[in-house]
Amino acid sequence: MIRKLLATVKKEALLLLRDKVGLSILFLMPMILIFVMTLIQDAAFKTINEKGIPIVFVNNDNDSLGILIEQGLRHNDLCTFYDSIDGKPATMELAKLAVAEGKFLVGIVIPKGATDAIRKNVTELVNETMNTDSTGVKSQSTDSVEVTIMIDPVAKKSFLISVTSNLHEFISEVKTKIMFQAFADQIIEVIPGKPATPSTAYKRTQIIKYKEIYASKSEEKIVPNAVQHNVPAWTIFAMFFIAIPLSGSIMKERNEGSVFRLHTMPSPYLLLVIGKIIVYVIVCLIQFLLMLSVGLIFLPMLGLPALVLGHSYIGIFVLTLATAFAATGYGVMVGTLAATEHQGAIMGALSILLLSALGGIWVPSYVMPEVMRNISTYSPLNWALTGFYKLFLRGAGVTDILTDAIKLFAFFIATMAVASITNRINRTT
Amino acid sequence: MSNSAIIEIHNLSKTFKNTSEPAVNGISLSINRNEIFGLLGPNGAGKTTTISILCGLFPPTSGTITIDGKSLVHDIAAIKPIVGIVPQDIALYPTLTARENLNFYGHMYGLKSKDLKNKIEMWLHKLGLTESANRLINTYSGGMKRRVNLIAGVIHNPKILFLDEPTVGVDVQSRNVIIEHLKEINKEGTTIIYTSHHMEEAADFCTQVSIIDHGKILTQGTPGELIANTPGADNLEKVFLHVTKRKLRD
Repeated sequence: MIRKLLATVKKEALLLLRDKVGLSILFLMPMILIFVMTLIQDAAFKTINEKGIPIVFVNNDNDSLGILIEQGLRHNDLCTFYDSIDGKPATMELAKLAVAEGKFLVGIVIPKGATDAIRKNVTELVNETMNTDSTGVKSQSTDSVEVTIMIDPVAKKSFLISVTSNLHEFISEVKTKIMFQAFADQIIEVIPGKPATPSTAYKRTQIIKYKEIYASKSEEKIVPNAVQHNVPAWTIFAMFFIAIPLSGSIMKERNEGSVFRLHTMPSPYLLLVIGKIIVYVIVCLIQFLLMLSVGLIFLPMLGLPALVLGHSYIGIFVLTLATAFAATGYGVMVGTLAATEHQGAIMGALSILLLSALGGIWVPSYVMPEVMRNISTYSPLNWALTGFYKLFLRGAGVTDILTDAIKLFAFFIATMAVASITNRINRTT
Repeated sequence: MSNSAIIEIHNLSKTFKNTSEPAVNGISLSINRNEIFGLLGPNGAGKTTTISILCGLFPPTSGTITIDGKSLVHDIAAIKPIVGIVPQDIALYPTLTARENLNFYGHMYGLKSKDLKNKIEMWLHKLGLTESANRLINTYSGGMKRRVNLIAGVIHNPKILFLDEPTVGVDVQSRNVIIEHLKEINKEGTTIIYTSHHMEEAADFCTQVSIIDHGKILTQGTPGELIANTPGADNLEKVFLHVTKRKLRD
């Protein structure tokens, strides 16, 4: 039986090696996808980080608030500061037009007299609190200061929320600084002889500070980036894409009559299928190693960060093997269910694209609506991706990915059962 | 079972799913050892279905089949090693060489490497394929493919060989080589069950002939007997047309 199995493996390997198109689908396509997708995503990430968001600033205030915000924006790495548009000083109207045309992502307009308004408010508040108003009439609060933030309508909502909340925080800080200074000036006036408050004293009002770190079990510093996300995602996609050449090989054998002859031979058909599974699982493992080498060696050559593997090599092996079995099982099932090669190719390609979209390969599942997020948990590609994220991003060990690996092995068994039942039905009817 | 019968078929029927008409309808046959048995009939008569059932490709709907004293339904594992098949389609891998194809199929029949290698070389030499044995099958002519297709079915020296139109679409030279070697195989003790549309070839090659149509056996005997018993017939083709009528088949 071993001799027969080896003959099947040899035959399958030879057929695969001579199928140049199939080989390019298996190895070149995922490599290209990893390069392209990582470079695109990394470039977008870098554009925002290195050049910053283009912001046009209209300072109608020309006092403390406007000047401090301008200084802050000029020295902020997150943005590129502009106060003129096409050589002309920026005005509200020009800025609105320029943002609408997409020349700037954000426009900020500080209204005339904004600082004065803040000071006036503070003076009145102090007077009210100390009852020092000589008229004895409690004044009505002055109009609030309205800072206008204009936004490019093409910009993504999630991105804008992030940018505008940062701007709100920054403007609020500047406002607090001015108010604090105004309070200090007023108090000196109300309580003569009190020493002047240092100008940095307002910083003490910032009691709560924020520190952002990436939660990971690994002692290694794992930073989420385009490489950490794209390498495992597209490797899984490629591994599942073997369903197309594998199902094609099953259908070719059926259509060319080899299966007819093989069914009449004293060798179980299962042996032939096992031979295919062995070869394609090995192909999947080679694919994985190749994609890892892309992440570890080739992407850094292009100035991208190197892939960090985490610390559980056993976990990586178990999960890769489980993914490889799930992918080959899927290919065998498609090859058995489809009636023609053409049908199999379409069924295989479309179903893998759908499963990968649902599984979070194209768009991370956490940004999906709840319904789609729930559906995505049924995609075997999602189980594999979740497992690799645990290993590569969360620094997890083999025990943490066992559930994902078991699900993938169970999927393999289920697909083989479907293939076996279909094959039996086809032969007995 | 008679002493000399290697295949006995009794009341064999096969109806496929989603069809009302049976492909094979109550066939009973007895094929003797060492015979060259021709199963002749127009397209859709039930020849390939009968051979497929006899090879164990799918089970019959009803009826009993005994091959070399063993029930096909209950003892198929013992029957498969003694049976060889040369299907109508070229059942070879186009992107493997002739040698690689034969090596694979030989192993599937359970032949050991050294014995297999010798047999492959012998057959390649016999059928004039030694020179081209390392070429991919998809570079072969139709006749060459048919010859390799034949070797793949006889490489394990089967007791029974099923040939489903083995010479269809080949030139005269290739056909002669194939028929000559089939006769040689038969002389060495292999029983041959053969289907064809070439009546002249069948008359020359077969020792017994059954004409089948609409899944039923219409007549049976030696080619000479059939010709003699058919009024106005001086060859097997006239017998065939007399029995199956001249109506065109799909």
